[in-house]
Amino acid sequence: MFVYVLKRIGAAVLTLLLIMSITFFLMNAIPGSPFLTEKSTPQQIELANQKYGLDKPLVVQLKNYILNYLKGDLGVSLKMQEGTDVSKLLFHQGKFELSIKLGISAILLAIVIGIPLGCIAAYNRGSWIDGFLRVMTTVGVAIPTFVLATLLLIYFGVKHPVLPTNSGSLTDFKSMIMPIISLSFYYVCYIAKLTRTSMLDAINQDYIRTARAKGVKTRWIVLKHALRNSLIPVVTYLGPVTAGIITGSFVVESTFQIPGLGKYFVNSILSRDYPVIMATTVVLAALVIFMNLVVDIVYKMIDPRITLTNKEG
Amino acid sequence: MEDKKLLEIKDLKVSFFTPAGEVKAVDGISYSLGYDEVMGVVGESGSGKSVEAYSIIGLLQSPGKVIGGSITFEGEDVLAFSEEQMRDFRGNKVSMIFQNPMTCLNPVYTIGNQLTEAITCHDKSVSKEEARRRAIEMLTLVGINNPEKRMNQYPHEFSGGMRQRAMIAMALICKPKLLIADEPTTALDVTIQAQILEVMKDIQKEEHTSIIFITHNLGVVAEICDKVSVMYAGKIVEQGSVNDIFYNPQHPYTKGLLASMPRLDQDTHEKLIPIEGTPIDLLDPPQGCNFGPRCKECMKICLSKKPPYAQVGDEHISACWLHFKGNREE
Amino acid sequence: MKETFAKLSPFQVDPARVMGEYGLSAADFEPASNDEKESMVEKRKSVSYWKDAWRRFKANTVSMVALAVFILCLIFAFIGPYFIPYSYGDQYRSSQKLGPKEFSDQEQLVVDVQDEVEYMFATFTQPGSITSLDPGAYYAKVKGKVYAFELEKLVDKVIIAVNPDDADPLVMIREKDIVDGHIVEKTPMEFTTTASPDAKQLKMVKKVFPHVFGTDSVGRDIMARTMYGARVSIMIGIVSALIVLFIGSIYGSVSGILGGKVDFVMMRIVELIYSIPEVLIVLLLQVVLKDPLQNWFDTSESAIVHALSTLGAGIISIFITFALLYWVTMARIIRGQVLQLKQSEYVTAARALGASTGRIIKRHLLPNCVGPLVITTCLQIPSAIFLESFLSFLGLGVSAPMASLGSLCSDALATITLYPYRLLYPAITLTIIVLSLNLVGDGLRDALDPRLKK
Repeated sequence: MFVYVLKRIGAAVLTLLLIMSITFFLMNAIPGSPFLTEKSTPQQIELANQKYGLDKPLVVQLKNYILNYLKGDLGVSLKMQEGTDVSKLLFHQGKFELSIKLGISAILLAIVIGIPLGCIAAYNRGSWIDGFLRVMTTVGVAIPTFVLATLLLIYFGVKHPVLPTNSGSLTDFKSMIMPIISLSFYYVCYIAKLTRTSMLDAINQDYIRTARAKGVKTRWIVLKHALRNSLIPVVTYLGPVTAGIITGSFVVESTFQIPGLGKYFVNSILSRDYPVIMATTVVLAALVIFMNLVVDIVYKMIDPRITLTNKEG
Repeated sequence: MEDKKLLEIKDLKVSFFTPAGEVKAVDGISYSLGYDEVMGVVGESGSGKSVEAYSIIGLLQSPGKVIGGSITFEGEDVLAFSEEQMRDFRGNKVSMIFQNPMTCLNPVYTIGNQLTEAITCHDKSVSKEEARRRAIEMLTLVGINNPEKRMNQYPHEFSGGMRQRAMIAMALICKPKLLIADEPTTALDVTIQAQILEVMKDIQKEEHTSIIFITHNLGVVAEICDKVSVMYAGKIVEQGSVNDIFYNPQHPYTKGLLASMPRLDQDTHEKLIPIEGTPIDLLDPPQGCNFGPRCKECMKICLSKKPPYAQVGDEHISACWLHFKGNREE
Repeated sequence: MKETFAKLSPFQVDPARVMGEYGLSAADFEPASNDEKESMVEKRKSVSYWKDAWRRFKANTVSMVALAVFILCLIFAFIGPYFIPYSYGDQYRSSQKLGPKEFSDQEQLVVDVQDEVEYMFATFTQPGSITSLDPGAYYAKVKGKVYAFELEKLVDKVIIAVNPDDADPLVMIREKDIVDGHIVEKTPMEFTTTASPDAKQLKMVKKVFPHVFGTDSVGRDIMARTMYGARVSIMIGIVSALIVLFIGSIYGSVSGILGGKVDFVMMRIVELIYSIPEVLIVLLLQVVLKDPLQNWFDTSESAIVHALSTLGAGIISIFITFALLYWVTMARIIRGQVLQLKQSEYVTAARALGASTGRIIKRHLLPNCVGPLVITTCLQIPSAIFLESFLSFLGLGVSAPMASLGSLCSDALATITLYPYRLLYPAITLTIIVLSLNLVGDGLRDALDPRLKK
């Protein structure tokens, strides 16, 4: 187990290095310079380039990035808030906490609501409850996040102003309702669908018949024998959920005007603030990779057939 | 056979209502089983032998439905049981083991967990330690070495034969009066098959459990059973003691089955003769004898009327028109 | 049977009595011929995999309805534009910011004239003679003569006229004008058989087609744009899915077939790409690729590049990101299938019989992979449409005047509180397309892979 986690951390570092390199070359391929404005002269740009080390060869720049990151130095912002430490921008102004708060609430909501809904649908298979849930979940996975977010905003924010349109820093419960619902709705539906399918799949397995032949109560069969087996595909899906929630947060943060990481990332790309792009990419990627690791460990806990040590990182 | 019957089945009919139409999987079978008696049910796939067993233990899945007849277990009408009565009946008085031991154990729980569950779901008062002790005892009985350690292992750490042993232990842990074994050895290697049969025989002797042994393997039947029912297309075509069936088969289908089976006690130069044709389509059964179209001795009557049973021995019956042919001429 | 049984307890049967009860004769005990036996067994036809799959699919009402809806969407997106006179890029200055089915004043004038004509036919011609008219071409029966004419319009004067070259033209003249926003009649309706001198200079009036979904702030018809956007979105979805299919299946099958060290290395690469959060890279790629692609389009002479450039840099970069990042799932699925097949007994048997690798691939591998391939590809389309709409929403997808459903939604956001329908129409279209594709995909999975069906 310990060796496995070490191995996975090693693989994670490797992936992060790869992502850093890709990001680095991509952002350097963005045409134009971060310092190019209407007024700036070539001399000024050159000076600025020198100041931030952008005149050095790309490989050297990349090496500097990596070395600095290993030291925990994320560099300074070039444009958005010139001269400020990026780590300060990301971690001390609440952006990171905001995104984490939003993301984790959404994932939790998706799990806490999605799995029971799926179980209820499978348990009442063929009834009107199942029918209703099937329609809801099928339609739910066909609605893009931004559409849902906007509709919620118009309906509950503008037409019937019961919830704030500007969620700001998510300080109160009311301001969190709409962003979290729009962020997690797709995943609630998807997880419910997935749970229903895998639950029905599990119910048809031979070991359920065995349990019935033993005389175990139906409810207990569902809760003990079917649920744990049917959670296996659901847990596997949680990795992609994390990545998807980050994607969704770009939309939700801009719709509800939440100053989180997602919005910041999009802005940093548009304004070519290299160190900020790099830092946000690495932080978000690290989150996804960390979540994948957690998923694998949970997976192992649910399914004893998986032996982590045999799996390659 | 004792006077008091453990299980009596009368004219049981089970149908599956599929979109394509009604499939009469079991079409009017009757038999009785005494205490401490082992009956073999033989037939090819789709002959209704598993369906019949499932209806005894109440495991019939939709779209299958019992549409007629009765099942009486120790004087109680099994078909009239409420869901809760049925649940308590299962595992406690009747239990079942299945064909594929690889998939019949829940992969995410330990063997011990699944064994003790069989006890605690019928009797909440049994303490954990007591349940565990009984589980270990049972594992020892079915010949699993080092049961304390095995209790904490998962099914995937067991071999096929070991899993089937565990299944048997699980089925017998509540000391049921009847064990239904649905092709318990089919998915196993031949050597393992023999071991499992040995275990079942030993346990039967020790616990005096009645067994309904479902199989398509006549060799297995000869080994363990007292009497045999031969099923074809939802009907029992011949029923009798093991000796009757093996040494004095009456129904052409039974004869065909025996001829298609290699036997060690016969001349090795004798050819094996397969039964020609394929089983009938139960969606659209023939008007006459179900076996008629495949029967070598098929007569005109066989194609228009279903044959009644003829008493051909003490406890030996067979459903074939041939038995009536001879009598007519006399 | 039950009756038989009730009478005859199995343990006490008297054959002679049975004979009597059944009323049997000697003839009944003659051996039956083989033909007689055959006739009792109705052989059911065996059906091929595809026929069977199609039968299963047809039996699935939800999927069939979804398929019909998707075909309607295709018609809407690809054939619809030929039936409406507006194009996605045309700006009608006079018809800005119209609500659904509203007309601008100028259009209202034309509509009124058309109503007038209809009215005229009803009163001046024989009843029923206009029932089967083509749009734009009208027939009138005046004084026992049938005249054909088309509908025309002059800027401030509306003349219903035409065919000036005809020997016996019918000209109907009426002048109308807009005064203070109201339409007034300047001269009453008159008929002449002389061609009006203006007639030849007249411009054809298009039949006024309602702006069913309204227009946007610069006077573009939203329905035309939605049709066009749906077309772009569906195309993006299909092409991306094909790219993924192509790269993924080749990569996956090569990895699976070669096996060993090659497989190991190839799968590590897949895992690495899999663990990269794609969206971050996609966003970067979008920004990075846009300008160089545009540059390439502008400078290159090649016909292919020219064809590509009509798609626009935004779409091409979406394709590139799909080609770079999204094939890994497909590759994994195909590799899994290949590995499973490699170990299956029938492939071993085929090999033992001396079948060539090519034959094994053709006869065993492909037919078995087709199911998962079709299903994964079908379900890839909606996810590509989703990704594109997401990018467009952030302003990174297709660029104006091109439209995709995502960019339409995004455009609508600025004025969302005033004109919510501008978001609703493309959003609903998007949802319907994705929904129908998802359901068709589910149906395909059930039909093509019966093992998965519960």
